[in-house]
Amino acid sequence: MFVSSAWMHHVQHSGQVMSGTSCKANGAVYPASTTVMTTVKKPKMEQIQADHELFLQAFEKPTQIYRFLRTRNLIAPIFLHRTLTFMTHRNTRTNAKRKTFKVDDMLLRVEKMKGEQESHSLSSHLQLTFTGFFHKDEKPSQNSENEQSSVSLEVLLVKVCHKKRKDVSCPVKQVPTGKKQVPLNPDCSNQTKPGSLPSLLVSSNEFEPSNSHMVKSYSLLFRVLRTGRRDMNGLVNGEANENIEVPSRKKRSSAHREDGETTEIFVAQMTVFDKNRRLQLLDGEYEVSMQGMEDCPVSKKRATWETILDGKRLPPFETFSQGPTLQFTLRWTGDASDKSTAPVAKPLATRNSDGSSPMESRPSTLKSAPLAVKASVSTDIQMKKEQILCEPRQKLRIFYQFLYNNNTRQQTEARDDLHCPWCTLNCRKLYSLLKHLKQSHSRFIFNYVPHPKGARIDVSINECYDGSYVGNPQDIHSQPGFAFSRNGPVKRTAVTHVLVCRPKRTKPSLSEFLESEDGELEQQRTYVSGHNRLYFHSDSCMPLRPQEMDVDSEDERDPEWLREKTATQLEEFTDVNEGEKEVMKLWNLHVMKHGFIADNQMNQASMQFVEKCGAYIARRNLCRNFLLHLVSMHDFNLVSVATIDRAMSRLRHIQEELPDAGADDQADRALMEGACNGTAIACSSGGGGGTKHGKRTKSSVTD
Amino acid sequence: MLLVGRESCPLRKTNIIEMDRLCINWRKRVKSEYMRLRQLKRFKNAEEVKALFMSNRQKIEERTNLLNEEWSKLRIQSVPLSTPGGALPGKKLCMVEFGFPAFKAQAVAMRPLTTVAGIPFMYSWSPLQQNFMVEDETFLHNIPYMGDEVLEQDEAFLEELIDNYDGVHGDREGGFINDEIFKELVEALSQYSDQEEEEEEVAEEEKGGKEEEEKGVRKSAGEGTEEAKVGPTAAFRRKRRSDLLEPPSPVKLPPLCTPNIDGPFAKSVQREQSLHSFHTLFCRRCFKYDCFLHPFHATPNVYKRKSKEIRMETEPCGLDCFLLQKGAKEFADQEILRSQKSRRRRRQPRPPSSSCPGPSGTTEEAKEVDSDHETTSSSESNSRCQTPTKLCPGEEHVEQVETPVQWSGAEESLFRVLHGTYYNNFCSIARLISTKSCKQVYEFAVKEVLIHRVPLEDGGNSPQKKKRKHRQDDNSSNQVYNYQPCDHPDHPCDSSCPCVMTQNFCEKFCQCEHECQNRFPGCRCKTQCNTKQCPCYLAVRECDPDLCMTCGSADHWDSKVVSCKNCSIQRGLKKHLLLAPSNVAGWGTFIKESVQKNEFISEYCGELISQDEADRRGRIYDKYMSSFLFNLNNDFVVDATRKGNKIRFANHSVNPNCYAKVVMVNGDHRIGIFAKRAILQGEELFFDYRYSQDDALKYVGIEREIDVA
Repeated sequence: MFVSSAWMHHVQHSGQVMSGTSCKANGAVYPASTTVMTTVKKPKMEQIQADHELFLQAFEKPTQIYRFLRTRNLIAPIFLHRTLTFMTHRNTRTNAKRKTFKVDDMLLRVEKMKGEQESHSLSSHLQLTFTGFFHKDEKPSQNSENEQSSVSLEVLLVKVCHKKRKDVSCPVKQVPTGKKQVPLNPDCSNQTKPGSLPSLLVSSNEFEPSNSHMVKSYSLLFRVLRTGRRDMNGLVNGEANENIEVPSRKKRSSAHREDGETTEIFVAQMTVFDKNRRLQLLDGEYEVSMQGMEDCPVSKKRATWETILDGKRLPPFETFSQGPTLQFTLRWTGDASDKSTAPVAKPLATRNSDGSSPMESRPSTLKSAPLAVKASVSTDIQMKKEQILCEPRQKLRIFYQFLYNNNTRQQTEARDDLHCPWCTLNCRKLYSLLKHLKQSHSRFIFNYVPHPKGARIDVSINECYDGSYVGNPQDIHSQPGFAFSRNGPVKRTAVTHVLVCRPKRTKPSLSEFLESEDGELEQQRTYVSGHNRLYFHSDSCMPLRPQEMDVDSEDERDPEWLREKTATQLEEFTDVNEGEKEVMKLWNLHVMKHGFIADNQMNQASMQFVEKCGAYIARRNLCRNFLLHLVSMHDFNLVSVATIDRAMSRLRHIQEELPDAGADDQADRALMEGACNGTAIACSSGGGGGTKHGKRTKSSVTD
Repeated sequence: MLLVGRESCPLRKTNIIEMDRLCINWRKRVKSEYMRLRQLKRFKNAEEVKALFMSNRQKIEERTNLLNEEWSKLRIQSVPLSTPGGALPGKKLCMVEFGFPAFKAQAVAMRPLTTVAGIPFMYSWSPLQQNFMVEDETFLHNIPYMGDEVLEQDEAFLEELIDNYDGVHGDREGGFINDEIFKELVEALSQYSDQEEEEEEVAEEEKGGKEEEEKGVRKSAGEGTEEAKVGPTAAFRRKRRSDLLEPPSPVKLPPLCTPNIDGPFAKSVQREQSLHSFHTLFCRRCFKYDCFLHPFHATPNVYKRKSKEIRMETEPCGLDCFLLQKGAKEFADQEILRSQKSRRRRRQPRPPSSSCPGPSGTTEEAKEVDSDHETTSSSESNSRCQTPTKLCPGEEHVEQVETPVQWSGAEESLFRVLHGTYYNNFCSIARLISTKSCKQVYEFAVKEVLIHRVPLEDGGNSPQKKKRKHRQDDNSSNQVYNYQPCDHPDHPCDSSCPCVMTQNFCEKFCQCEHECQNRFPGCRCKTQCNTKQCPCYLAVRECDPDLCMTCGSADHWDSKVVSCKNCSIQRGLKKHLLLAPSNVAGWGTFIKESVQKNEFISEYCGELISQDEADRRGRIYDKYMSSFLFNLNNDFVVDATRKGNKIRFANHSVNPNCYAKVVMVNGDHRIGIFAKRAILQGEELFFDYRYSQDDALKYVGIEREIDVA
């Protein structure tokens, strides 16, 4: 027992070899060994606990931060997850419409909305529920039970448009709104439930003016197709009647006979909106007398409420007792999804429409869902290639393994749950989940390890996380308090917004989340180019504002202190007279400003000097000193005699032009600003090349 | 010291008791006077410091007011204040409660301000775009503070540090007696001696002794640093006193100061004297007077003048031109010949008379050290000026033999200056003088030549130039020495030429012949000079705009686009750098625009200090754990601690995106930072410090001497 425990101890605590050896030294004394054991075990437990504490601490902070960010993103989202490329399946809207989009459509939509308000406040849909088709004079045939119990009814919306100049007649548009089987001669006595009756919906959108033509009036055209008797019967009956009736009609029916069926067509038309856009059809029950389809198609002009049957005029209401009539109920409904009346023709619903994200299950976006599903399926297929169960419908198990100090500290399993543990975002796919974790939770390192039951994700703390800002630098420049403090136009940081970018994207593959052996740390650092940080002025350590970005403080070769310095340094000489000093200072400032570097620049530099400082030299009566300076330059082989001549004659010229009094003293002051300041600052001379006594002689310089 | 005083005392004996009494009296007197003066001085010093401090404060206040004014003009959104009554549930209240029931608890809403991220620590520094040479600091200006704990730990370090220096600033505050205070003391004591005239001599002696005693006491206290002053005897002291008490010379100006030629007191002086300031202070390399970079300026005398410019005008300038006078032309021609002859003569070895004073008596020298101002005699021997000031009396003759035309001193000086340049182009000279006609100039010239034949001939002596000694032994290939223009007029550049010895090329600043074998010829490139095809690039030199005339380094002065890519440092074609907290440590340098590989980014600028100074400073920097030292060559180190540019914030990396290269730029070694690879905008810049510090320099092979220890 001792041996085994000692071994355990040794293995588990390789770090505490010392106590182990002491144990051995104690030899066979059993009690001693047990005491050692306990003393060893205690720190072990403590150590584990402390370690665990550390582990929790390490993970606590980032988790808290991400929890906070999640809440903030819910309240005030900075971005929408569905816009991310790896989250496209969360995006239920497609851009398919964009191809057919016309700018006019926008106008249409607006006008439509207006029209809706004007025309009818009641409605958004015209609902027609058909009670039945009555054709009294027809004797019910023996076949009627099985075959002839219903007729097919087609409802068309006829739009009569305004005549345009080129048109001969008014253009007519027929918009099919649906086909229904309507019971033929139903027994009116036994009431069927209204829900079981066939009904049609006509969207009120249809009554909006179409884009090409101004519609004058809208009417409903009912067309009942009554399939005739069996071929044989029809033939017999038809032929029997044929000679009696109108030959043209025979022709038509015979034409139908080719299909092996005879059909009778009955039509009727009702105006919904007249040309003054007055609504003619209000809610109610209607019985329309139908008219047998004649040789010519129904045209607006000929459609009347008077029925001509077999060439004879009938009194208006007699048709209802005799002729075929269609009974229906008409309702204007406000809600399409009003389930009480009839099932509405709803577009296809998404297959995966789970209720997890209520925000995204809005009906308006549902229309395009099929496409999105298709896309996700295609990526699913790709996932399957990698033999990983990606479809959330399949039971997928994800093991989060939390690592600390390279040891597993905790394992959490998520079954069939692709929500991000930190921000509860449903990623719906493993790839998206991993990508999301990597991108949005960079305080951690996530490594994907394939697992037979699903996936394992190793989570560890990212030591390299530096929190550096990777966004638009403009955002960090907005300093508190300055938000509305602009005085006139302000320059902003030049930021290039990429409007269209089609980078070559690698196909999404889970292998990109596998732990890479080399350069792991390097990869963790976010690498973003561009100015994504706040810069500071090098002199004052104040933040650099966007409008100051283009100004380089180092562009000036002669910072102010250096100008002062050169002036003080010259001023220190005790054996240089004031005239010489003045010219030397002027010249030094001139050279420092322009940064001359070559001998062959000197002629030009001298002429420039005269132009710049000539007036000052003349006013301050330094002409001879200036001449001495030029001669000295000549002695150094830097300027030619011609330059001396030219410079001096220019100076004389300036001197003559000079106004008598020191009219522009200000210019002088500006010119000598650097040079004169020097005398005021006595302390600064001790700093650099100053001599100990503060006074220098030129003779000492030559040493 | 003390012994000397004692010795001199008994020597003077007549009445020893009397002497003793006097001695004691004098001792007391001297002591009290001395203390009084000291105190006065201390007081005066304190006042001075106070005044300086106040003036600085005032300056700061002015600036602050300016800033405040600016701020008050800005429209700044005020922080919204919540009303104290409407206690919002979310707001925290700050409560102060009292134990007394009489006082109500006070509460005020806490107003949290948004956090502003802190920035790394930065010691202040001055911006600079070119290196700046500073002298060695033999005095420690301040004891570096590195936090309390460091100080306590490192007493030893501080002691060692102080040992490195001659002293610490402020130590010497009145530690010894200087000339000024000595003079004052004597003056103060003279009132007593007036009373006891008969004992003046004794008093003097005694005072001297007293002085010595004072010094001795100080020395024994271990304060004295003036070991050199041990020597002077009382007699010398007396002499010195008399020197010091001598009334200041009537001319206020120091001896070499020529009166302002534009001023009312302009004197008629020799050409060299008129131009002396310009010649000595002008830096032929920086084109500036008293430049920041080169402590030793060559004077122009030895420069060969372009002979083609010595051209005689033959056309009379007007009806009254001197050329129309009889014999004028002949005179002018002869003048030319003569001056050319004299020029040739100028090449000859300098006459010994004007060379440096050389070793004179030791007492003389000591005196010079002590009193380097005011005494004319000492300053004359001190100066290196070759202009014979003594010639001035000659001018008086001219004045006396004056024709009706009056020549002012300034005009005469100006004539001599111009005559040295224009020779006998009297028309030109007259035009430049502008107050005299050429005829008058000519007449004056005739007289001048007659009188001043001699001075003109020996006028052009070059000043003694201190030859820098270079260690000949370590002539190994790895050593790169600072360039110093050579000046050895008698022989061509051979193995004794400093340029050859230091393996530097002779530059255009050297005094040797243009045809010198050691001169770098420049390049004849027509391309960008960024490959080793270019001899300049190969020699790690930037193209010299006065040598390389084809590559474009001498063109387009005003534009930033130069075809030659090998002249970026001299032109300062640096990239725009930005400062921000580093991703690595402290501050970092970031680049604004993207650059290509090998493109020049910035020059590493700073103070140019000697290797010794770098060692002293480095010891402190090492303690601070932050060093901006950059080895330039065997003689100098660039220290960007106090002065520098933004590149100083670039951090070290073993995998850097920049590299440093020491390039010879028109005679100066300068450090260029170049892109090691293509760098994108906004990237942080790094270079490998090791290339600049200890490791062998990969690019130029500079190695710091190891024998520092």
